[in-house]
Amino acid sequence: MSEVIKEPRNGCALHGALQTVQEIKGVVPVIHANAGCGVIHYLANKGTSGGNSSYSGLSIPGTAIQERHVIFGGASRLREQIKNTIKVVKGDLYVILNSCESAMVGDDVDAMTREIVEQGEPVLDTLVAGFNGGPYYGYEHVMADIFRTIDGVKPSEKKTDPYLVNILGIIPGKDPYWQGNLEEIKRILEGIGLKVNVFFGPYGGVRDLINAKNAALTINFSRWGELPARILEEWYEIPILQRPSLPLGTEQVLDLATAVAETIHIDEERIKSFFGNEEVYENDLLLRAREDLIEYDNSQTAVLVGDEEQVIRLGRFLNDFLGKEIKAVILTDALKTDEEHVTDNQELLKEITDSIYITSDQKKIEDIIRSEKPEVIFGSSLEKRIANRLEIPVVETSYPVFEKLILNKADAGIRGTISFMEEYITVVNQYEAEKRKQLLSYVKGEKGGKLWQEQSQKRSYSKKLTLVTQSQTKESLSARM
Amino acid sequence: MAEKIGKHIAIYGKGGIGKSTTTSNISAALAEAGYKVIQIGCDPKSDSTNTLRGNNYLPTVLDSLREGNKIHLEDISVKGFGGVLCIESGGPVPGVGCAGRGINASVSLLQELHLFEEFKPDFVLYDVLGDVVCGGFAVPIRDGITDRAYVVSSSDFMALYAANNLFKAINKYAPTGGAKLGGVIANSMKPGYHREIVEDFVEKTGTSIAGYVNRSIDVQQSELYGKTVIEAKPKSAQADIYRNLAKYIAGNEDLVVPNPLGAAELKEWARDWGDRIYDIENGVVSVAEAI
Ligand SMILES: Nc1ncnc2c1ncn2[C@@H]1O[C@H](COP(=O)(O)OP(=O)(O)OP(=O)(O)O)[C@@H](O)[C@H]1O
Ligand code: SF4
Ligand SMILES: [Mg+2]
Repeated sequence: MSEVIKEPRNGCALHGALQTVQEIKGVVPVIHANAGCGVIHYLANKGTSGGNSSYSGLSIPGTAIQERHVIFGGASRLREQIKNTIKVVKGDLYVILNSCESAMVGDDVDAMTREIVEQGEPVLDTLVAGFNGGPYYGYEHVMADIFRTIDGVKPSEKKTDPYLVNILGIIPGKDPYWQGNLEEIKRILEGIGLKVNVFFGPYGGVRDLINAKNAALTINFSRWGELPARILEEWYEIPILQRPSLPLGTEQVLDLATAVAETIHIDEERIKSFFGNEEVYENDLLLRAREDLIEYDNSQTAVLVGDEEQVIRLGRFLNDFLGKEIKAVILTDALKTDEEHVTDNQELLKEITDSIYITSDQKKIEDIIRSEKPEVIFGSSLEKRIANRLEIPVVETSYPVFEKLILNKADAGIRGTISFMEEYITVVNQYEAEKRKQLLSYVKGEKGGKLWQEQSQKRSYSKKLTLVTQSQTKESLSARM
Repeated sequence: MAEKIGKHIAIYGKGGIGKSTTTSNISAALAEAGYKVIQIGCDPKSDSTNTLRGNNYLPTVLDSLREGNKIHLEDISVKGFGGVLCIESGGPVPGVGCAGRGINASVSLLQELHLFEEFKPDFVLYDVLGDVVCGGFAVPIRDGITDRAYVVSSSDFMALYAANNLFKAINKYAPTGGAKLGGVIANSMKPGYHREIVEDFVEKTGTSIAGYVNRSIDVQQSELYGKTVIEAKPKSAQADIYRNLAKYIAGNEDLVVPNPLGAAELKEWARDWGDRIYDIENGVVSVAEAI
């Protein structure tokens, strides 16, 4: 029996694919769906952190198919749309995203795409019908289809670069700090002498997609990059380094560098000097926060809510670095049974906590938090409601984050450690300050207030009294006169 | 839905079994008897009403929908033999789009155009294509569009299999206001054990036979002239067969919810008949004995 999910935080496969290609510079998405599919994605993300990329919401080319396209097939409408899009929107690659309607009607989009490619246009298509899965499915499949077909659309000779790595597994937008995190990983890997295909954001682009086949290694930072990584492995013999999460903290980053060095030759001296410098920088900054760190009671217990990758990344850091007790983790992306992926993080999660939940149902999430009674939540803005009720702070680390603009701030790597600590301490301090303020206004407004009111009432009464006596005096005076 | 105007009858059956021929002859016979009749072809082939209108061109409902212009009843209907109002729902070219959705859309459109209020028919016949393959093709028996369905079948196993599938659909939708079954029209009946097979099938499924239609050269000949048998050969015995069938259908209020056979049951039943036919064909037993 299917069940109702309260306030689900995940969109559909089409949405995942859309937010993925939206962040690849030079890619123009073309949605083959009814008008609502793109708009609902736009509206759902409008208020969240990160803003909108160049093709978003109403500016995304789409077929906006109607009933007659369902009945007679929508392929010719799509042909028209692609041709018009190519005329008016300049792009290096046009990616057609096929929705539920297209899948159900069975439009032969492949044939349509082939026809346009034969005319020399860089177009590819992918089937990401919402009924196939969530945004993770969309991310994996659009990336896999891009790697399968890009060479046919943008042919180039394969020249393996022994220092080039592909970064996969981080879904743009699904990690509120994705941009900063990718930048940070790139900075670190470049720091130890590598070159990086990040694909997304200002440092990525279609060029990275074309170059993916020339990499010496694909580092996959979550289960959700397995499929595209496997395609690169099968087609271009690029080995995969599977990591459970992005690293957070110098120790984790060093661990990553060591693992990479097993496949790619990295100059040891370079690693040493890079990490030496990084350590100095990190220590220097964290030293400034020592008072806050000492003052703040780190023994406070926590519950983590978010995608598996985020939960593992933050969970290990909070455990190892801050010695925090994690009462429970709630995974909002994992599937109860996942036969598509080989990644198994059970052991790792168990090291973080014994209580591991899988759900994206907000009612269940709230119930779990209520019963675990943590003193702080690391989660999304959706957890604010229960946090307010329990009177505990929320550090916003997972999607969706409202009322906050996050452009290139990171919470992974080494710099990410610093900004994560900044955020954490700020939230907790602000929360404490807010509590103090409330307490004060309570004392003023309620208890002290009554006293003050009584007194001021007395004061005005006595004022009236004097007025009366004065006027009486006047009267009696005049009477006497 | 508002009070239904006229009796709405859906005719189903396996592809090529004689739905359109039978439906058109029933329509013609009803018109001849003085009733106002509409026949709606719910089939992308849009050939249901051919013999009622001498094979003349008729734009389909979905053709006009595709063009996107404002649609008027006059554009998508034509009066054929005896004033039967002929309409073809039409559909996509084979292999493209969704014909099921097409039927859905055109039936809704006809309702929006107030077809029944305008024409005030006594009978509306829906000639629905092939098997009930998906939800779209079940539209005429769902949602109270028709209240009775007939199925055309021969004694061939695949025809009865399709009939059984329709029974399943009726069984599913009847409790929520869908159509019930009026009966089985046994078409292309040849002499021999063929009748018995169909009779046994209706008995097993708790249904009945609405009429027997012989296989006849008159049907094919009339078709070649672009006419129904009623129009081309009004004096023939075949015309009378259709008249009787039409009369039965017009008066029949004995509607049932069938008990379709399960997959295994149906197979078992067919194998049993296979053995009997083998015995008959090889002269082991006579027809009467076999039954
Ligand atoms: N009783 C009959 N005697 C002789 N020929 C018949 C008889 N019934 C139908 N036919 C012939 O069988 C052929 C198919 O019939 P018809 O087109 O009515 O079938 P249908 O069920 O509507 O097919 P489809 O599923 O393709 O719409 C026609 O050529 C028709 O003339
Ligand atoms: S689930 Fe299907 S119909 Fe809904 S938005 Fe996604 S692609 Fe569109
Ligand atoms: Mg027909």
